[in-house]
Amino acid sequence: MKVLLVEDNERVTRFVVKGLQEAGHVADHADNGRDGMFLAASEPYDVIIMDRMLPGQIDGLAIIEALRKSGNRTPILILSALSDVDERIKGLKSGGDDYLTKPFAFGELLARLDALNRRIQGSGTQTSLRVGDLHVDLLSRKAARGTRAIALQPQEFKLLEYLMRHAGQVVTRTMLLENVWDYHFDPQTNVVDVHISKLRQKIESDSERPLLRTVRNAGYMLTADE
Amino acid sequence: MNKFLRSSAFTLAFGYVAFGIAALILFAAPLWYAYYVTLQDARREGLRTDAQRLSEIFRRQGVSGLSTYIDNRVGMQIPGERILLLADSTLHPMSGNLPEWPASVPPAPGEYDLPIQLSGNDTRAMFVENVLPGNYHLLVGRDQALFAPLAARFWFGLGAAIAVLSIAGVFGGLMIRRAVLVRVDGIHHTVQAIVRGDWSHRLPMKAGSDELNTLSMTINAMLDQIEQLLHGVRDVSNSIAHDLRTPLAELRSRLEELSLTRPEAEETFAEIDGAVVDVDRVIRIFNALLRLAEIDTGMRRSGFVPVNAADVARQAVDFYLPAAELKGVTLSYRGSGPAHISGDPVLLAQAIGNLIDNALKYTNAGGAITVEVRELSDNRIQITVADDGPGIPDAEKPKVSARFYRGDASRGTPGVGLGLTLVASVAKVHGGVLELGDNNPGLRATMIISAHTAGVLPPVVATAGTAGALQSPVAAAGTASASAAGVEDAGAAGGKAVAECKAVVVEGKAVVVEGKVAADAHAADHNLRMRSVS
Repeated sequence: MKVLLVEDNERVTRFVVKGLQEAGHVADHADNGRDGMFLAASEPYDVIIMDRMLPGQIDGLAIIEALRKSGNRTPILILSALSDVDERIKGLKSGGDDYLTKPFAFGELLARLDALNRRIQGSGTQTSLRVGDLHVDLLSRKAARGTRAIALQPQEFKLLEYLMRHAGQVVTRTMLLENVWDYHFDPQTNVVDVHISKLRQKIESDSERPLLRTVRNAGYMLTADE
Repeated sequence: MNKFLRSSAFTLAFGYVAFGIAALILFAAPLWYAYYVTLQDARREGLRTDAQRLSEIFRRQGVSGLSTYIDNRVGMQIPGERILLLADSTLHPMSGNLPEWPASVPPAPGEYDLPIQLSGNDTRAMFVENVLPGNYHLLVGRDQALFAPLAARFWFGLGAAIAVLSIAGVFGGLMIRRAVLVRVDGIHHTVQAIVRGDWSHRLPMKAGSDELNTLSMTINAMLDQIEQLLHGVRDVSNSIAHDLRTPLAELRSRLEELSLTRPEAEETFAEIDGAVVDVDRVIRIFNALLRLAEIDTGMRRSGFVPVNAADVARQAVDFYLPAAELKGVTLSYRGSGPAHISGDPVLLAQAIGNLIDNALKYTNAGGAITVEVRELSDNRIQITVADDGPGIPDAEKPKVSARFYRGDASRGTPGVGLGLTLVASVAKVHGGVLELGDNNPGLRATMIISAHTAGVLPPVVATAGTAGALQSPVAAAGTASASAAGVEDAGAAGGKAVAECKAVVVEGKAVVVEGKVAADAHAADHNLRMRSVS
């Protein structure tokens, strides 16, 4: 995907641009609000990463508001050192699609960018999802692996649905907490891991091929690929 | 006196006195004027009548008759007698009580009010002058000095009134000062003491509910709030100093060692990974502290919405259920229908989650944790998380409760110390308290919050029987093992197995356990809990 990074900190910029390039993406970069505004308005990007506090009069939120007003619907991830819930709400209200607090892990950033990119591409209403031989019917809320029916608790179903909607993508623990449980805080313990391991036991019997992978330093990925 | 002059009581009294005097003068001046004019008119009228009578005598008896009459009248020496003078055409006196025609009186008929000299004294007199046939001049007058005592009495009266008013004003000012400003001074001294940094002071309050008392009450409530915020800030600083220094020191030495020894690539990368784990730990603590500060400032109340606390609790139970099952602990929800409150669902979820998490850490396999939400009769909601873990020995309770109090408590970890502190803060921001009691056996943590938060926040109450940081070493070891073993197996790991554990990475997630479970059970236990970040 083609990503625009609007960020004034050199080290963060280098870190993100290098990471994106290694992951096979194209990254443009602007180190002030004016250039960022210009690039965002003139070039087609898949995702924009926007810092909030920028040099050069225009602040990140102002750029987002201006872009949205002019009809630009590019997904925007706000990157900010401001962590208060109020700030977060302000950022999302201005037209941002996701909010990530600095300092952040690159895996978290990449996973969220992927999710934002996919959200736009596959935003039609689906009634069923399929990953390999794992199949989920969203209407009857039933899951099956091949011919083997899988009994899931409502919460487990929600977790599996989210993983399947983001199949082939890394989803972080924070993303799961926010989107499956709507918990916008750090529960301190590894409860998410426990949920995942429980789900894994249900969808992967001994003879079946593993689908749910653990991605080191990032999170999890549901994929049928080898 | 100088201070008195500058005081607002003096200004007030002075203003009232000045106003009183002005009013008095405004009242007295027209009165005096009317009185004076009437008096003058009456006098002039008297002089006119007299002059007419004398003219009548002249007409009837001629100049000699009038002359004789005047001489007779002057001779009687009546006190306060008028000035009488009959003069011929050359203004030469013929009879009367003036030795000669007064120089200031013109030789024409009319009425005059002029300054003259009477027997050597300067004075003022009113005259009526008639010119009689034969060009005789008749002068009838009255010395105005005779009326001077009347004016003097009036002015004295006015002066006395002003004096009384002034004294009353000053006295009144002193009284106001004594009654009111002494209290204002009290407030002043208190505030000065607080500005100097002594927060133990509060504004003096008197019996009754006058305006000053109400004001003092409000200000005291404000001071309480500020003091708590201040404590919060201090706690955060202490926590940062204490909790962050350790991982930072570790990180620093790790990097420095790396820089000095320049090991093989494989080892270098492992060390870098370790450094990232260290940093993540710092960030975690930092985030917890910031969140606590955010809640404590009361900012979050802007985000209050109608929320069903029972639903929040049930969801939290669902969330922690797999973790409990893994540990062999029964986690159940018990509730009696919905519990609608005005609150922040995210904070409530986090608080209940923290309580469950804490209970989970201290409950052994086979134990049970019960979460209960009940609506109390007085429009309050009670959220209880009870476990049957080892609880806290009675002897430890006062110590633990003291530790839990927001001075030292925040020295705990995001895992525990800050966890329970956060619960207390959440309860507080919802206009309630966190109470920690006995479950016989085990711990019973209760959040009592009001259904509709409003008004001044009550102070944080830490009751006796606080769970706090200290529980038995077995439980603590269990905690560490649960974290270290991660998703694989929690119950099996024993106390000593993880006692010296330092840093373990489970599925990319850091489980850092540091400290010693040794002879000194309490200290080590606390230490362990403080360091355990999972």
